[in-house]
Amino acid sequence: MDMSTFMQGLTTALEPMNLLWIVIGGFLGTIVGMLPGLGPATAVAVLIPVTFGMDPVSALILMAAIYYGAMYGGSRSSILLNTPGDGSAIAATFDGYPMARKGMAGQALAISAVASFIGGLIAVAGFILLAEPLANFALKFGPAEYFLLMLLTLSAIISLSIGRMVKGFIAMLIGLMLSTFGIDTQTGVYRFTFDIPHLSEGIDFLIVIIGIYAVGEVLYNLLTIDKQKKEKKKIGKVWFDKDQWKRSKWPILRSGPIGFIVGVLPGAGGSIASMISYTTEKQISKKSEEFGEGAPEGLAAPESANNSASVGAMIPLLTMGIPGSGTTAVMLGALIMLGIRPGPMLFESDPGLVWTFVNSMFIGNIVLVIINIALVGLLVKILDTPAKVLYPIILLLAFIGTYTLSYSAIDFFLLIIFGYLGLLFKLFDFPIAPLVLAVIVGSDMEQNFRMAVLSSNGSLGVFFQSPISIGLIILTILSLFYPLIMKLIRNRKRKHASEQRKGA
Amino acid sequence: MKKIILLICILFLAACSNSASGGNDFPTKNVEIVAPASPGGGWDLTARSVQKLLNDNNLVDANINVVNKPGGGGEVGWQYIQSKDAHNLAINSSLLITNNLLGTSDLTHKDFTPLATLATEWQALAVPVDSEFKSLEDLMNQFKKDPKSVKVGVGPALGNDDHLSFVQAVREYDVDPKNVDFLVYEGGGDVVTALLGGHVGVVTTSLSEVKEQHLAGKVRILAISSEERVEGLEDVPTYQEEGLDIVFPHWRGIMGPPDMTEEEIAYWDEKLSEMVKTDQWQEVMKNNDWEGFYKNSSETKKFLEEQTKLYQDLVNDSGLGQ
Repeated sequence: MDMSTFMQGLTTALEPMNLLWIVIGGFLGTIVGMLPGLGPATAVAVLIPVTFGMDPVSALILMAAIYYGAMYGGSRSSILLNTPGDGSAIAATFDGYPMARKGMAGQALAISAVASFIGGLIAVAGFILLAEPLANFALKFGPAEYFLLMLLTLSAIISLSIGRMVKGFIAMLIGLMLSTFGIDTQTGVYRFTFDIPHLSEGIDFLIVIIGIYAVGEVLYNLLTIDKQKKEKKKIGKVWFDKDQWKRSKWPILRSGPIGFIVGVLPGAGGSIASMISYTTEKQISKKSEEFGEGAPEGLAAPESANNSASVGAMIPLLTMGIPGSGTTAVMLGALIMLGIRPGPMLFESDPGLVWTFVNSMFIGNIVLVIINIALVGLLVKILDTPAKVLYPIILLLAFIGTYTLSYSAIDFFLLIIFGYLGLLFKLFDFPIAPLVLAVIVGSDMEQNFRMAVLSSNGSLGVFFQSPISIGLIILTILSLFYPLIMKLIRNRKRKHASEQRKGA
Repeated sequence: MKKIILLICILFLAACSNSASGGNDFPTKNVEIVAPASPGGGWDLTARSVQKLLNDNNLVDANINVVNKPGGGGEVGWQYIQSKDAHNLAINSSLLITNNLLGTSDLTHKDFTPLATLATEWQALAVPVDSEFKSLEDLMNQFKKDPKSVKVGVGPALGNDDHLSFVQAVREYDVDPKNVDFLVYEGGGDVVTALLGGHVGVVTTSLSEVKEQHLAGKVRILAISSEERVEGLEDVPTYQEEGLDIVFPHWRGIMGPPDMTEEEIAYWDEKLSEMVKTDQWQEVMKNNDWEGFYKNSSETKKFLEEQTKLYQDLVNDSGLGQ
């Protein structure tokens, strides 16, 4: 890297106009990230006509700011309403919502903003130092490696539902079945489409998220609304305390790099990154039993990971012209219209653009942490909103969000079906996350499995060939059995200790 | 909250006042260009470019909106304009033909009024730069020897232009396309990643997906489906130069609902032919690596009939036919 082009990039990024785009993009991203269904991909797509008249650098800055802004915003509704705004905010419901229910909503919002900020900074630093070697590392991921990565994600999420493992498996299987809807890419055969052309692209996982979380939550509350006492919910302080910070510090620092690396892999993205970092932290934590009950580190870790994943996703986009996520795919289209063709030549042909962009991400994260902390005081008021006002608004947003996905009323029926499914899950105490994650990764997982087997002419040995595969298999086994092993060791220790006590 | 309501009211008023403009015989109301795909994709960007150019050059005396109707590989959007009038156009491509041949749709080009073919991309066959295959002939001879020895990356679906252009190439070498193993990726970008990572031996994709990688010395394009060598890639031969009788355009066009009047067709012929003459359109094509391929309504109709015959043949040979 050339120091002078870097500094030049910093100056360009700090130009008033560009600074304005960062703030607008970050703010817009935070808002769309918060609203269920309206994600960064939609926001960027809607803005494409606006970018037509813009300077390419500003357009790129604006679109990227929306993208990582949404990572900040996505967890707001996870924490306050138990309804994630996007796939990458699902993990934030695990501990963020319990924290809010314990009256620590303000602290939860603040710590997640700070975690996102640090995760973002780690990733920007990673981008500056490691963009090219990491891009080359990502290429080593073939169908076999992708399949194993997704298997790891699913096994990680199953291991979370300890105590109700069978229910977790059932939820995951339903999710995997739902992911088989639509055209089968390898053969072009239509599966479960019932002659409805709209279903040929499968069921959008965002409909599943909005239906199960948002609509399900509303329906569930409808059942219990009369029993809820009209107590004023505690909001708590808007800043976290020393102990919470002490617990979150290392998880945030560990999750940043994890999220960054997963983000660089095309197709993996924030959902997988946040899930893997959450389970990692839960498993190495000494207080793993507090995870799911409102542990601050359980919120901080995935928040750090998903934001750094969104920065990581820029690497394959800019160094190879390969979009790694839905949002970056839309960004690529917009950049091409502006006459910029991201790819291996971009760093040489237009270094000014690249370094301005990198610096804008750095500034953007600073702007966003300020925006989001300033918003905490306002957002926690949502908890004060009476249910009869709040829930209709959530329903309205859920339907609007669903419509923007593909402008089709058929999705409304799916939304309602998944809403009732979500209600059933809550009534019978099934974990929701395994289902949603299975819908997100299911179809890619299947296609990658079949591609891997096809490329090896039918031999399953393909899954044990590369060091990356072996590593992923070991991690998968660990994620399934580590909690059990730990439990055994702890029991033995306790036994041992009590025996010693007896002996003495 | 009050501000939001006010904002909505303003938007509403703006929408009302806009729709009141116009006045000639045609168009009498807002024009709608349907992109049968989600925002951000190729069809969407084509639709938005056409919208912008018609607007900027004051070619059409009405408001032009782009509407996204994704689903079913174009089916949802195309079905939508079938029952509309000449104010509703839709972007199309060869999927209009192949969807029907593959049995996934009842619609054919005969169910619409073709208005223009706008531009084309070319297909490219590429291998990693360190591949043992230095020429198209090397590669094809390997397929002849053992069709399963080299895996072919393609996306996002079998039966598309990427796939069928390859089918046309191998069958000239008497290789049965049914015996070739295709790995189907989600899109052109994924196909190139797989090639760079060495997970497939060769990819068939749009030229724009591999052009930069070729220039950067990371992949080698063995052949291009154009008639003449492409500007900027003078070192890459065409299929014809390599001895195969193949010119394979990956075109995109625009069409209207069935039963349009002569006047309406003439109207769009005039406007669209003027649009493709603008400098801005040249710029759009350059940015997208497209090439001029304009055909007016009647030429397009004839072109679509020829294409249907060719595709019918290729789909049958690929083993995907009904």
